Amino acid sequence: MTQSMSTKLLAVFPIIVFACLFVYLGVQSATFFSLGTFELIAKQAVPTVIVALGLATVVIAGGDDVVAGGIDLSIPATAIICAAIIADQLTNQGNSLVFAMTLAFGAAAIIGAINAFLVVGLRMTPLLATLAMSVAIVGVTKVITSSRRIGVTDETIIFIRDGDIFGIAASVVMTAVLVVIFYHALHRTKWGMNMQATGGSRDAAEISGILTRRFVVQSFLIAAFAGWIASVFVLARGSGSSPGTEENMLLEMVLATFLGAAFSPRRVVTLWGAVLGAVVVSALSVGFISIGVNVFWTGCIKGGLILLVVASAAVASKGRS
Amino acid sequence: MTDALLKMCDITKSFPGVLALDNVALEVARGEIHGLVGENGAGKSTIIKVLAGVYKADAGTVEIDHATLPEVTPRSVHDAGVRFIHQELHLVQHFTVTESVFMGQEEQTIFGLNKRVMRQKAEDFFETALGTTLSGNTLIRDLGIAERKLVQIARALIDDKAKLVVFDEPTAPLTSGETDKLFTAIRKLKEQGIAMIYVSHYLAEITGICDRVTVLRNGQNAGRFEEVFDDSAPAMITAMVGREIDELFPKTEHTPAEPRLEIEGLSADKFEDVSLTVHRNEIVGVAGLVGSGREDLIDTIYGLSKPHSGTLKIDGVAQKFHAPADAVSAGIALVPRDRRHDGLVLDMSVSDNINLAALDAVSNWSLESRRAANTVATDMSETLDIRPRNIAATSRLLSGGNQQKVVLGRWLNKGADIFILDEPTVGVDVGAKVEIYQHIENLAQHGVSVLVSSSDPGELIGLCDRILVMLRGKIVAEVSTANLGVDELVALTTGGATREAAS
Amino acid sequence: MTLKSIFARFGLIIIIVMFFSFFSYISPVFLTFDNQVNIIEASAIVLILALGMTLIVAMGGIDLSIGIAFDFGAAFAVVALKDFGVAWYVACLVGVMGGALIGLLNAVLIVILKISPFMATLGTFFVGSSVERVFTNGGGPISYRRMPQEYRDLAVGDVFGIPTEVIIAAAVCVVYFIVLERSIFGKRIHAIGLQKDAANVAGIPVRRYMFIAFILASATCAIGGLIGSANIRMFTPLAGFSYLLDAIAAVFIGAAIHPKGRPNVIGTIVGVLFLGMIGNGLNLMGLDFNLKAALSGLILVGALALAVAQQRFR
Repeated sequence: MTQSMSTKLLAVFPIIVFACLFVYLGVQSATFFSLGTFELIAKQAVPTVIVALGLATVVIAGGDDVVAGGIDLSIPATAIICAAIIADQLTNQGNSLVFAMTLAFGAAAIIGAINAFLVVGLRMTPLLATLAMSVAIVGVTKVITSSRRIGVTDETIIFIRDGDIFGIAASVVMTAVLVVIFYHALHRTKWGMNMQATGGSRDAAEISGILTRRFVVQSFLIAAFAGWIASVFVLARGSGSSPGTEENMLLEMVLATFLGAAFSPRRVVTLWGAVLGAVVVSALSVGFISIGVNVFWTGCIKGGLILLVVASAAVASKGRS
Repeated sequence: MTDALLKMCDITKSFPGVLALDNVALEVARGEIHGLVGENGAGKSTIIKVLAGVYKADAGTVEIDHATLPEVTPRSVHDAGVRFIHQELHLVQHFTVTESVFMGQEEQTIFGLNKRVMRQKAEDFFETALGTTLSGNTLIRDLGIAERKLVQIARALIDDKAKLVVFDEPTAPLTSGETDKLFTAIRKLKEQGIAMIYVSHYLAEITGICDRVTVLRNGQNAGRFEEVFDDSAPAMITAMVGREIDELFPKTEHTPAEPRLEIEGLSADKFEDVSLTVHRNEIVGVAGLVGSGREDLIDTIYGLSKPHSGTLKIDGVAQKFHAPADAVSAGIALVPRDRRHDGLVLDMSVSDNINLAALDAVSNWSLESRRAANTVATDMSETLDIRPRNIAATSRLLSGGNQQKVVLGRWLNKGADIFILDEPTVGVDVGAKVEIYQHIENLAQHGVSVLVSSSDPGELIGLCDRILVMLRGKIVAEVSTANLGVDELVALTTGGATREAAS
Repeated sequence: MTLKSIFARFGLIIIIVMFFSFFSYISPVFLTFDNQVNIIEASAIVLILALGMTLIVAMGGIDLSIGIAFDFGAAFAVVALKDFGVAWYVACLVGVMGGALIGLLNAVLIVILKISPFMATLGTFFVGSSVERVFTNGGGPISYRRMPQEYRDLAVGDVFGIPTEVIIAAAVCVVYFIVLERSIFGKRIHAIGLQKDAANVAGIPVRRYMFIAFILASATCAIGGLIGSANIRMFTPLAGFSYLLDAIAAVFIGAAIHPKGRPNVIGTIVGVLFLGMIGNGLNLMGLDFNLKAALSGLILVGALALAVAQQRFR
């Protein structure tokens, strides 16, 4: 086998594995390939899709190299704290949804700004900076919620959870709109191309006159913004704010984003890839539950899948120039 | 008098301890292809960087299109219509040709990027301005190097405001076949009235394509050729190397003994079928331009990269090096070309760096004996005359020459008996050069086998017993240094003697 | 000396002293001998994990799976005692091997498959967490109230009046100090961390060192797990995760104190004690535990930012 053939094979290896998994699920569960299941998968995927959009933006602007490049592990934490703020405002303080969301937006903006400062200003490794921020944010969340669940009965939130727009679940439609907006901004505008260039090759971008630092700062702000948007859907899905959901969201977000790279034609992290990755991850979860697999095994399998994807990419890239 | 588009006058630039440019003049006429030649360290890249606004000249003026530039910055020079095609491509692997060409200068309407228009413009540009067909949707990683170079050129010129294009060693990574694409493009550009500066070591190309040539030597103007013919190369070489007699090199008092390092049929990514032997008490040289495969040969011998085929024997025993550690165990030492990145651990002390390859020798039960280590370092520092003598000093602070001595000291301490020196005196001042040459000669007198890879022909002739010449991945000549002139060696490395002219 | 250079060299130390003074002022109990001993005792486990992390960071990598190594250490030991009735020292050995297993996984992923340490250890963390959940059928603890007293003593006993866990932590400190700061292995590890390529060219077997280092670090973390499980007489899945950020922070704070900004054993010890002091001080202030969590997190981010900023100014 020539080198390029084995490289290509390695690159598609994860896709083959996933295809097999889905065939297996379809065979094992009679109802897997049904419209109802698809809708369930889509609804479940919503929060993951949104945070994955945020992470994808940071990685696109910062570069695929996880150590030197971009990563933001604090997005799920941002989603959680925004959800807590909104829930607290709605239920405990009796304020309007608009007010609550504005307050939460402010919090997200501060988080994004701090991340940007740590990474661009102090040149801290994004990994360390966002990991530490994640812990701090969770801590502050505990203060807001007193580590207790806050139920939410606001009708807009309920609509997002249960309602339909043109026959499709409201949350799915809204998320789809968000994806389209992100896609247009990042892949169809000069601004977006420059952000991609910044992550693709800092030197190339700077030589072309692109102000790379600005783009990296913006990527962290956008990531926090994604966290803010996701919080609404997290609230809807849980009918309120519950402690302890952060770790799972983190795992799914990372898996979805980097999995997406394996699915993209150019083999890099992209928005569509992240969205597809989130849907695939959600489908796996739903599928495993429907055939009765122990829910804790799914975490294991997901972790194994991340390693599979990253290992294939690492080995495959040795064959590329 | 020709109409000068670019006029650089009396450019002087010095760095701590070295005068890089001394009243240098460079003039390029409208629509001409102007060659810039000189050895390594002659000042070619310095004057280009001054023009690019990367370095600020200490004195001198830059005039573009009869207007003196008040401030030479990357921005002002760009605005004046000068474009640079660097040696490094700086392309994003997963971008398309169109995206790369328009990086930083994308065209869009209120609805978003005008992808179709950009693609059309890019493809048209390749066709009409560069004389080649390239699809705008191809990914950079799927292109050959020559085509990537063309993309780099397109990016610089597509805004149609270029008046002068500077090519810095454009053909270094290309094979003979690929250079044709590049020359077609260059000739097309000339047809459109764009002036060019062509910096290159490949004299055959220079004589083939340039209208006039400026020669630099030791930071000064050493000649200007107002007319260039196919047989102008020897005259250029003479101007490049001068007639100075170098008394830098010690007398040769060693005689080669039995073979120690034997390489046969070694092939890797960038070179093919290389065979060489180094005997005990012998100094063998490897000459060749950047891109000749010389660097990869050294890396492969030392275990830094894997060969495709071939054998390497030490004392008749075949070896396979998976990593430098293996080579070191076999008694080989490498003084690498990138001293600061691969040679020294800059933030460690001189003492630590000297002891780094032989820590076992200064330890008791694996605990480092500071006293023993310091003694070793102090002795070595004396022997090699490392300045400052303070062995606790951070290596980063030493001058290039002293840093090189530290690296040398490390291997002397280890007791290696096959030394590979890659560009041993790059960035080293003359005084330290002389000392290093003496130490190398001493090694050869005392049982060591030495392989020297260098881009300095004078150095190779002065040091080595014989020299192998590499050109585009193959060994094209093996010559004894007795009665070898620098001009001959330069001719061999630049392919002047064996390659056809480019036009 | 300008203000900037004073900050660069001593910034973090000044902050530590400030906090110390603040807590002494605010709480009468803080400065007592018993309380200071409390801080040290409570820091023992974090210190052990932070030392493992110091080794990895000094070598230029990172290990996000130290919590898993901690858990595996506890799990293997408790199961060995409970289901196999082995002697306490055998259980300790088995526990350490459990941690080494995690290290082995990391080493294979990083050195052989060439995955970046971040991704590899993140993957190990995810896989390991799930395995723990599956193994305990949902994340419930495995308790063993009747564990041998010698094992229990790892956490609650004392030797000549000094708590055993402190002695163990001190022993690990000494070993790590000798290895990392005084032995030739440590010299090579620092070289790899500073400039991997130069270390490689100098003949240091980089891959072999990285392989061994990851195994060693995880095995060390498992020791922390032994103490943890001895303390509460059970194995709690995912208990190790809470130590991760403190360990990382301690290493970076310690590096900032070092004159050359290198991760080092003494600095890590100071970093661990600093964090322990914060936790202890906030406790004594009688704050609501949620507020405590928030403040600890924020102080952590601040201290890290300061540590990094200090490096930039040097």
